[in-house]
Order: sequence, then structure tokens, then C-alpha cells
Amino acid sequence: MANPTISRPEWSTVIDSVLQKELEQHVLVTSWDKLLNMVDTVYNWGRRSSLWPLGFGLACCAIEMICTASSRFDIARFGAEVFRGSPRQADLMIVSGTVTKTMMPMIARLYDQMPEPKYVISMGACATGGGPFKEGYNVVSGIDKYLPVDVYIPGCPPTPQALLNGLIMLQKKIDGEHITNAPWYRGDVERDIPIPVLGPDLIDLRTVELTAERTALGLAEVREADLPKPSKIPAPQPEAEVVDASGNGAVGAEAAKPPSKIDLIRAKARGETLPAAGSAAPAAAAAPAAAKPAKKGKRALARPSLVWLGDEGLKELAARLDAELGAGTVSIVQAGLLVAPEKLVAVALYLRDKNPIKYDYLASLQSVHYEDCIEINYQFDSTIRPGSLIELRVRTAEAEGQGEVPSLYQVYRGADFQEREVFDMMGVRFTGHPELKRILMWEGYAYYPLRKDFLEPYYEAPAKVFPSRVDEGFGQHFRAEEVNPHGTNLKVPQGFTDWASLSSGSDPKGQPLLPGAIDVQELGTDQFIVSMGPQHPSTHGVFRLNLRVDGETIVGLKPVMGYMHRNHEKIGERNTFLMNFPFTDRLDYLTSMGNNFGYALAVEQLMGEDSRPPERAEYIRIIMAELTRIASHMWSIGFLLNDLGAFFTPALYAIEERELILDLFEWAAGSRMMCNYFRFGGVAFDLPPGWIERCRGVVNDRIDKKIDEFDRYLSQNEIVLDRCKGVGVLTPDQAINYSTAGPVLRASNVAYDIRRAAPYSIYDRFDFDVITGPNGDLYDRYYVRLLEMRESAKILKQAVRDIPDGPILPGKKSYQIKVPAGEAYSRVENPKGELGYYVVADGSGSAYRYHVRSPSFINLTALEPMCLGHTIADVVGILGSLDIVLGEVDR
Amino acid sequence: MVSGLGVIRGHMVTMRRFLLTFWRDIRQGKGLSRRGGGHLLVDLFRKPARGDEPRVQQDFKTDGLFTVEYPDERLPVYERFRVLPMLVYDTEDGNVRCTSCNICAKVCPPQCIWMTQAKSPKGTVVPLPEDFYIDMDVCMNCGLCSEYCPFDAIKMDHNFELSNYERHQTHIFSLQDLLVSSEFYAKTHPEAWNSADEVAERGKVAKKKDQRLQKALAGSKTAAAPAKPVPQPARA
Repeated sequence: MANPTISRPEWSTVIDSVLQKELEQHVLVTSWDKLLNMVDTVYNWGRRSSLWPLGFGLACCAIEMICTASSRFDIARFGAEVFRGSPRQADLMIVSGTVTKTMMPMIARLYDQMPEPKYVISMGACATGGGPFKEGYNVVSGIDKYLPVDVYIPGCPPTPQALLNGLIMLQKKIDGEHITNAPWYRGDVERDIPIPVLGPDLIDLRTVELTAERTALGLAEVREADLPKPSKIPAPQPEAEVVDASGNGAVGAEAAKPPSKIDLIRAKARGETLPAAGSAAPAAAAAPAAAKPAKKGKRALARPSLVWLGDEGLKELAARLDAELGAGTVSIVQAGLLVAPEKLVAVALYLRDKNPIKYDYLASLQSVHYEDCIEINYQFDSTIRPGSLIELRVRTAEAEGQGEVPSLYQVYRGADFQEREVFDMMGVRFTGHPELKRILMWEGYAYYPLRKDFLEPYYEAPAKVFPSRVDEGFGQHFRAEEVNPHGTNLKVPQGFTDWASLSSGSDPKGQPLLPGAIDVQELGTDQFIVSMGPQHPSTHGVFRLNLRVDGETIVGLKPVMGYMHRNHEKIGERNTFLMNFPFTDRLDYLTSMGNNFGYALAVEQLMGEDSRPPERAEYIRIIMAELTRIASHMWSIGFLLNDLGAFFTPALYAIEERELILDLFEWAAGSRMMCNYFRFGGVAFDLPPGWIERCRGVVNDRIDKKIDEFDRYLSQNEIVLDRCKGVGVLTPDQAINYSTAGPVLRASNVAYDIRRAAPYSIYDRFDFDVITGPNGDLYDRYYVRLLEMRESAKILKQAVRDIPDGPILPGKKSYQIKVPAGEAYSRVENPKGELGYYVVADGSGSAYRYHVRSPSFINLTALEPMCLGHTIADVVGILGSLDIVLGEVDR
Repeated sequence: MVSGLGVIRGHMVTMRRFLLTFWRDIRQGKGLSRRGGGHLLVDLFRKPARGDEPRVQQDFKTDGLFTVEYPDERLPVYERFRVLPMLVYDTEDGNVRCTSCNICAKVCPPQCIWMTQAKSPKGTVVPLPEDFYIDMDVCMNCGLCSEYCPFDAIKMDHNFELSNYERHQTHIFSLQDLLVSSEFYAKTHPEAWNSADEVAERGKVAKKKDQRLQKALAGSKTAAAPAKPVPQPARA
């Protein structure tokens, strides 16, 4: 029997019914939902205060993301300091930078591996919608095409404060979540992303039927049929002699010669045998050719670079080569030696070993797609007699897939990656290259993108300005997606039918580059292959290594790159000369001032004396370049120590100094990283009032002390010594042969610094030493950088002392840049090494060919010999000591 | 060699910096306060009002704690700092400075600027933009547009707090989103505003406007002056 309800009046309170209702509505927990709401509050608070980002950076924005995590901005204040190396421990993916097609499958995989609940921040214009690189053929137009994005942070790049703002926005979003409808607790919501496939292009498997249908219809080809195509110019012909001949009357007599030369080239272009090669070339070299009537338009002075061998020396060299290797080996074309392809290896061997000036250093190698041929040209310099640069040209058939040139792999190992790049971009085969595989794009990609006849999926016009932007009536905004038949950055050749073969599990990027087996006798262990990267905290970006290890010893190593290939060169050939400045910022995004410098020099070389910078501008340029060097070396040393296991302290100290330099950049140029400060003939703005005083303060009173502190802190640290001494040794001969540059080359005891070897700007006025290291090991590379910062400080002190007043541009600022036709290769000593810009101008507003000789990329050639026999832990340090920046490696 | 002295000496460096951090804070009277929150202990839980956050200027003398506690304190914004472009209209008469001459679209490296010129009902060209779009998913914040604008009409905004949850509707800035008053511009860019170039340009424009006004006044007896399609400013 139930007890009767006991009612005790003193226990019950009489509540006003209105109040009762209000209490029920706002305070009392009366329903299941309300209880859950309270749980939500706690639950959301917990999650929003401990977001663990994935330690995952793609491009320039990643540098700002790292800055956000470091001393000045300290993302730890938001509970987000634990950047996890593994997606399985992270719940926030900050997509920081350009999402490329090559990287997209990896990003999808990482996302799928992250446990729920997971969030995505799209940082920067590139991740959000393709950004400035959207028009590129290897760029995904927005990560939201694949992943659900929670917060977008506009900016290019967003500053660390902007990233923190985005993080706060995400926290606000999390605050509004409810357990009841969170997608990850609902069984019916599939949050995994199907991995896109690298087929003929990046194929999204969710829409593959549609893609196949539209491809079969040939919609892309239909669209392209109406578009204006880029025009091709003929390759330069030997006409340098004309000037020399000074033959006013010799017009008629010699008229027969040049056509024969053209015929020869055309014959070569058709892939026919070259019967005339022997006779025509020496004729062109020895006998004065016809004095052609002055070409329309101005031509730049024919010289391969500002500092080079000189016309006389080149003629002498040509004569010597002809004498040694048989007449007709070479002929002089626009201050370069045109070599018959079959003689190329012999010429290279002669230049390297027998020539009085031993050309032991292959500075750069690139290709140009002309109307009648594809020209591969090589810049050689001598480390013994620096500054005697020469250019070699080899021409081969123009048609797609027809070009074939002997490889210089065996003569200059530095040609390895560069030849692969030419193969990848132009489709020219190099006979004798042991691993001629695509390097930036993937095996199976349907096109050779740098050929002039390749039109990208978003192609609009051969050169900027696009008519749709300026012509009347077309000014209505549209997205590039709208013009593409697939509605995204996608183009598949109509003939492609093999859709069934596309599989998410394939790895066309890394598969062809598995290092071969080398049997190590003394170890009784099994060999296996490790793929390290492209998502790895120690690869300094989206870089990948395929390693073959025997136990712990590395017996084979192949770098795999291209995960950040964002089509800098293709876009650069459409940009006007001025437009290209901000794009160069984004090459090596740690040294944008240096990149600007090199590019400005290349175009100024073509423009000649008109564009000579005034004195003040020269000083400003030097100050900026050297500040950049200090900032970059600081970063590199900090992160080298990070890689060696010192975790974050040295990096945090180094970043402080870098931040102070970035403040100076921001003050003068307007942006921390993407300075865009140089202009042809000077700089964009004068220094703001008070700038030089603060710069003097930093240079005179701070930098030296901080470098000393670093020296005390790290240089004699026994752990650093143990990890660095004798590791990753590169002998001087190897360093030269592998075309390494910058601190890597100098650490191997080769005193080759472009600022001395081929002085540019006003570097010849400053007193500084070229630092070299004795052993070429990891420690020397670290220490050379440290000492170089001191030398930079020395230059800076002289520069801030002597900087004169005056104009900063030679004339009035104008956006219409007239660049005479010609060819130029400029070299600057960037913090990473020799940065070269090869520009072919055809007299129009944009470059006909634009190539970047990137030191990071070529330095990687030497990674394999440095790493063999060491362990993976050492590889991380060795890679750190190369100081690569992926924006420059992949461009 | 393996004496460990190097390691110890290195640790002294970190120790020195660690202690220095506290020493500086105590010496500057910041030992107990949060830097972003004022000077009292209770300020730990109070935030400064939006826009009133202390600006932390760091230079070569900076030592000790290096962190700038965004959002409670901020780094100084340098005048040339650039995020997205903005279009300036004159505060006094609402006149949009842009004449749609297209130079910004011509120098824009990623080609993120679209514009159409305004037309009068009669079909003649009016030097004003009818539409003006900037796709901020493409814009690279390079500042070339503002650098080469001959009318001081397009300038670079300083606002970097642009994060949002959606991009397809909001990331294309139209004329309405881009317009700011010259008053705002003068406040954010005092140096440029007072520079000789811009003062001269403003003088020129004022003179031209005055002439037009006189002309209009003279002719206003006969017909009302054609109203210019002045878009309403979205923000000031």
C-alpha cells in the first residue's frame, strides 16, 4: 500500500504564475532539450577551446600560419597550439595556401583520416577560390570543391592576426552547435570525401560520368576553337655578325646565306637529317651575313646576362670549339652558341674539361617553344673564373613529342631535374637520361603545359589584359568556372576513354620514382620503401621523399615534387611585365624582396640604360635584399634546429628577429611577406619617414647581438655538433657538378657568390666577405648561414650609412612598360642560392618565355648523394640544411 | 669535446631570456596585469572595447615578452598596409572618384577587377562606374591598382578581419561594398592624404567641379542639371 502523500505547507512555496512561466522558459531545466542545451554549452566550450590544428601547410599562407603559432601571435592563447603532425590526432584543418591538383588527393586523404568532429578553415584567397593562381592548369579553384569549409579567411596571404580572427570566427561557429543535429552524430550523413584521382587531369569521382560525357562531346575543344591562341615567334637567327660586319654595301652579295640557315632550322624542325649543318654554321660564324634592314621595333642588346664572357671571348670560344670538334659544331646566335644536337655532349665535355676557362657549373637550363623549333638553352659559368657566363643553344623538333636532345646528365648532374622539368613541361626527350619521368605534373597528365599550343581549362586570351575585363559591355563579373564546360578547372582530351582505369588508390606521382634496390651486404635486414611526405612536418612544405631503407640505413632516395606546382611560368607568359612582380613574390615566399630584385634585373637588362635605377633606389634595393637574407637565414636556422629536434625554442627566437624585419617591410612596402616593392628602374615607393632610423636601429644595435646570441646558443652545442658534423657531406666537386648554389655550394668550400662572381646593382661598392665552410657537411651549411647574416649586417651598416636622397625611379611611374625584344638571364644571390630569371621578350607587353632558375629546386638534385648511408633522422636535418621553399621548388 | 659545456652555455641563453621576460614586465609595471586588459588584476576578465585595443609598437629595443595578444591588443597598422581594394567617394558631395578609366583592371595581375562604364540615358559616356566588381577570391592584395590609379579613386583598405562562413555570395565585392568615404580614407591614410600629389589632385578636381557647377548654375535656368547616378555609399 502506497504511503499517502504528505503535504507540508512550509515546504511548498507559492510562486507567481507569471514568474513560474518565465522561470520555466529561461532558467529551469524542464525538458530533455534544455538539458541538452546545457550539455551543448559545456561540450562546445570544450571543443572550441582546444582545437588542435593539423600541422599541414601548403604554400605562402602556411608561413603566416607558422608565424601565428610562434612567439609574436601565439595561437596557444586560443588552445590551438598543439599542431599535430598526424591527421588522426587533429580536429582542425587549416588549408593554408594554394590547393594544387597534385596535392588534392592527399588533402582528401588527410581529411578522411581526421576523426570527427572536424573543422576546415580555408586560409587565403588560393584555398578559398584559387586565388591569383586560379587560371593555372594545376590549381584547384577552391578547397570547397572537395571539403566542407567552415570559415574562409580572405587575404593574400592573411596576416597572422587575420588567421586568429578566423579562428575566433570558428570558435563562434562552434558555440552555436547542437549535439542533436551535429552531422557527425547522425548516421545518415556521410562525411568522408572520395579521393579524387590523378588521371589525364584531376578527376573527381563523384562527377566522373558527367565529366566523361562532356569530354566525349569535346566541349573543351569546341570552346577553344573560337579563342585567340598565343602566337609563336621564330627562333633567333645568327645575325649578331651583321652588326660586326658594319658592311653597308654587303647587302646583295651575302643575301644567300641567311635563308640557308633558316632552311637548316626548318629542316631540323621537321626532324630531317641536317646535311647543311656542317657548311652553313661556320659560314655564318666566319663570313659576315647579310645586313638585314633594321627590324621593326627596338631590340635589346644581345647578351646572355649582364656579366658574361663578352662578344670577343665568345667568338674565340666558337672558333676553338670548331677547331677542336670539327667545323660546324657551333655557331653564334644572339650571343649564344648554337650547337648541333649530336655534338652537344662533346661540346659540354670540352667546355668542362679542356677549355682554358673551365665551364664546370651548369647555372641554368630551360626551353623555349618557338615557331620552328624548341630551343633548349644552357647557361654555363665557371667557378674558377666566375663571371664568364656563356649560353648554349640546342634546337629540336617543335612538334609535340618529337623533340629529342642528348642528355647532359652524365656531364653535369645538375641537369638531372632541369631536364626532367623540360621533359615535363615541353615534352622534349633527353636521350641518355636514366630517369626521364615527369617531375612537376604526374605520369599520365595529358598535356605538356608550357607548350604554346596548350590552352588551360580557364584560358581566356593569349595575354593579359583579358578583353572581358575592359571592353565595354563585358564588364559584368563572371567566375572562371562559368566559361569552362566542366564548370571547374578541368580539361581532358576528347580521345580519352579509359575512365574505368581511374582508381583512388593509384599514386601516379610517386610510383615511377621508387628508388632501386642496392644490396647492402653487411646488414642482414630487409629493405623496404618509405614514402615520406608530402604531408610531413619536416619536409618544409608539400615535398615528398621516396626512401628505400635497409634497416635504418638509407640505400635509395628519390625526391618527389610538384605538389605545389602552381604554374608560375605559364601565368608569367600571359602577365604583362609589370603584373608579374607580385607573382614573383610568391615564388620563394620567404624572400619576396630578393625575387623582385632578380626579376627587375632581368627586365631592366632588356630595357637597357633607360631603366637604370637612381642611386637612392639602388641603395634601397640593397637594404631590402640584405634584410631579406637575414630574415630568411634566421628562419632557416631556426627550423633547421627544429628539424634536428631542438623543438621550437631556436625557431621562436629566430622568428622574433624575422618579425622585426617584416615590420620594416610592411611599413615600406605594405605587406609582411608579399612585398611587391620593386619596379623597373627603381622601387615602388620611397621609404616612409622614420623608416631608415628604425632600420638603423635594427641593423646597428640589434642584429649583431642577436646573431651572437644564436652563435653562443647553438654553435657549440654538443648535440648540434653530434647531429651535424660529418653528416650529409657534399664535396666541392660534387657541389659544383650538382649545380648547387648559395650557402649549400659555399659550405662545400666553393667561394661562389653571385654578388662577387657577377656583381649586380651596386654590390661592388660594399665591403663584405664571401663565407665558405671547410667540410661541406650539415654543420657547415648551418654555420655559413650564420656567418652570412653577419656579412649581410655588415653590408646593411654601410648601406644605411651611405644612402643618399633623391628620386627612386628614373622617370615617371607608368604601367605601360616597353620592353624591347630580346633575351635576358639575370642572376641574383638570393638567400637560397642563385636565383635566375630567363626572359624572352618579343616586343609585346608580356614575356614570350619566362623561366625561373630556382635554387631550391636545383639544390634538391644533390639530396640523394648527401643522404645515402645515413638514417631518416639525418635526412630531415640534411633537407633542413638545404633550406628549400616549396613555392620555389615547384613554382 | 663531449663535455656538455656547449649545451649548458646554450641553456644559459634560454635562461637569460626567460628571466629577462619577467624582469622587463616587472620593471614596466606589467607584472600582474594582462597586457591587453589594462592595468588592474580585475581587468583579466574585461576586454577593451572594439577599436580601443592598445597598439603594441615593437622595434629594435623590444625585449622580453614578444607576444601581441590579438584581439585584445594589436600591432600597429602601417599606412601602406594593404588588404583589399576600396573605392573612394568624396565625403562633401558624394562624388565617386572613379571615372572607370579601366587602368586598375589593366594592371591587375590576376585580373580580378571587372567594371562597366556608366551611360547617360542619351547613351553618352559618363565618367563613372556603373558596375564595379572585385573578386576577392582572386585578388592578390598587391596594390598595383591603387598605385597606378590616376584619380586616387582606388585605395587599399586596412581591414583584415574579413573572415566569414560563406564565399559564393559574399566574396564578390560590388560597387556598394567597395565604396568608402574620403573622410575614412583620410583617417586611415593620413600620410598619403597629405602628400603633395594627392593635395594637388584634389585641388584639380575641386576646380573642375567648381567650373562644372558654375556652368550648371548658368544653365540651370533652362533645364535641371542631369542627375548623376551616384551610388549610395555602403559604409563610411
